[in-house]
Amino acid sequence: MLGKGGKRKFDEHEDGLEGKVVSPTDGPSKVSYTLQRQTIFNISLMKLYNHRPLTEPSLQKTVLINNMLRRIQEELKQEGSLRPMFVTASQPADPLSDNFREAQPAFSHLASQPLLPTDFVSTMPLESCLTPASLLEDDTFCTSPTVQHDGPTKPPPPALQAVKDSFSSALDEIEELCPAPTSAEAVAAETAADDSKAHPSESSIHKPEGLPESRTAESKLMDSLPGNFEITASTGFLTDLTLDDILFADIDTSMYDFDPCTSATGAASKMAPVSADELLKTLAPYSSQPVTPNQPFKMDLTELDHIMEVLVGS
Amino acid sequence: ADIISTVEFNHSGELLATGDKGGRVVIFQQEQENKTQSHSRGEYNVYSTFQSHEPEFDYLKSLEIEEKINKIRWLPQKNAAQFLLSTNDKTIKLWKISERDKRPEGYNLKEEDGRYRDPTTVTTLRVPVFRPMDLMVEASPRRIFANAHTYHINSISINSDYETYLSADDLRINLWHLEITDRSFNIVDIKPANMEELTEVITAAEFHPNSCSTFVYSSSKGTIRLCDMRASALCDRHSKLFEEPEDPSNRSFFSEIISSISDVKFSHSGRYMMTRDYLSVKIWDLNMENRPVETYQVHEYLRSKLCSLYENDCIFDKFECCWNGLDRQVEFFSVFHGSIVMTGSYNNFFRMFDRNSKRDVTLEASRENNKPRTVLKPRKVCGSGKRKKDEISVDSLDFNKKILHTAWHPKENIIAVATTNNLYIFQDKMN
Repeated sequence: MLGKGGKRKFDEHEDGLEGKVVSPTDGPSKVSYTLQRQTIFNISLMKLYNHRPLTEPSLQKTVLINNMLRRIQEELKQEGSLRPMFVTASQPADPLSDNFREAQPAFSHLASQPLLPTDFVSTMPLESCLTPASLLEDDTFCTSPTVQHDGPTKPPPPALQAVKDSFSSALDEIEELCPAPTSAEAVAAETAADDSKAHPSESSIHKPEGLPESRTAESKLMDSLPGNFEITASTGFLTDLTLDDILFADIDTSMYDFDPCTSATGAASKMAPVSADELLKTLAPYSSQPVTPNQPFKMDLTELDHIMEVLVGS
Repeated sequence: ADIISTVEFNHSGELLATGDKGGRVVIFQQEQENKTQSHSRGEYNVYSTFQSHEPEFDYLKSLEIEEKINKIRWLPQKNAAQFLLSTNDKTIKLWKISERDKRPEGYNLKEEDGRYRDPTTVTTLRVPVFRPMDLMVEASPRRIFANAHTYHINSISINSDYETYLSADDLRINLWHLEITDRSFNIVDIKPANMEELTEVITAAEFHPNSCSTFVYSSSKGTIRLCDMRASALCDRHSKLFEEPEDPSNRSFFSEIISSISDVKFSHSGRYMMTRDYLSVKIWDLNMENRPVETYQVHEYLRSKLCSLYENDCIFDKFECCWNGLDRQVEFFSVFHGSIVMTGSYNNFFRMFDRNSKRDVTLEASRENNKPRTVLKPRKVCGSGKRKKDEISVDSLDFNKKILHTAWHPKENIIAVATTNNLYIFQDKMN
């Protein structure tokens, strides 16, 4: 479903471009330009989302890749300005989150065929081939990093770090959520941008701090939601699907797929269709209504008591 | 771990320091010139090796901090010992390298090998005396400048006052006093309040060689800003902005990335500065901000390959550049400094540009293709089209063999060229 939607957009995009072409002679070069642009766009996304370094990635590299993505997006927007669904009237002034949302359709067609690697996916490690959620996981790792990359490489001691990290970062998120729910995104971004003492792990793990912040404000909130705590407290790092589904049916549960490496592959593949659906719901990229950053916030508020219970209990 | 990550001659040229990815510093020393053998300058031999930085783990972020030495800068020599600053991503250290060629002998309570003597056997007292010993070179850390950088340090530069130095990371530049390790002053901060708005980072910074309140820093967007510390405590507003307007005919998806400046170096006089971006070397006159006075193409044949180079990350390689030193034979003519600039490329090639004659040459640093003590043969790279004899096609270049770090002796025509794992030292042919 999501995949088809994504493909349709691409095809229409291409058709639209060709339809707009002034003269037939312009056709092929315009198409190849579009192809090249799309290739570069995909490569850029690959670079940003698939990198799982043990050390902090280069901020310069990330900024340059991000600028590339933004530029391509601007071009796409301008070209597609005839088409209403490309116009997002209430677009938040947040190019990075745009990138994030728009990134989803780029990979959404991958989601529909989780086990069928495309050219790009084939170069990725197996875990990330399975779902686009694995790409989202990298954002999730902004808040629970060690679980991800320490999973396969260094088991127990960093695992403790992961518990502490997601714990402390989630606590911070909760604190940030409390005062200003509607501006929580900005607040979360701000506090995450504060590199030093108080909010250590939530920002840059894979990416330098701040870059994924607002774009993954949703994912941050996801991490702070109780599901995480229950999971880490009780089962180690295996995701508890049923609990997630019960509590956060409307929220993109793919955010919880923070550890495909250590979780059973069955669990990972099971998550794929769920996450794809959730992607559609929560990340309507080309819709003109403001994307739902506020909704998870509101829902989180109601779950804060639950979180505190779990924290106190564990 | 033996990947060389920085190369730097000291102020006299007698010592050559290299840093590597494993956190080690290796210092080479030039042999004293043999006056009878005037056709050969002294060779460089290993003088000292020490572990400068160790890998660390940032527990808050759960990330490793690499021990790779990003930069080494020598202090001018003030006494018998040598001092250098070496830095990794987060911490700068001041190292003292000193020689010991005498040791005390004749202790009363200890044997020469260190064992304690039986006190009952001591019948007379003697005064220990210093006797010559085999030369020992010791390196000891004298200062550790830590915890001042959130982002990765890319540059350090010692001020012409020889008391302060700056360290630059992606978003901030700090000013230190060499004696004070628990305090540094932030002089540039380009971090936006909202990190989502971040589009530009600092890539290199250097103090002016003569003016101790002036420094420059380059950015990932191809701009250089000159700042004067007398203007304000926080130099967020530049005094000069050097930027060349983009050439519309060369516009591509990668225009911004290839414009990112990877190195900036002042000339000795301080009148000019040189910048290196991905494809070219530019010479700027500090009095002219709107364009460089000279531009040299390092490997223009890569322009059509930028997409592949983006995919394999080579487009992010940070090449350094350097000016020639003073030619010793004509050192009265200061115009001879700054007449040649050198930078590295791929396939273990490095390039030199003669600013006066506008000639350039491509040379190769490799053992297979060059016998020792033979003159290097110039190389030529051709496009994907017809290949002449002895030319190398751009498609057969090895992009894993990159020369990022080169250095020129400050007084003689001796150059140090670092390939991935090896250090080559070349000198010009003396007649």
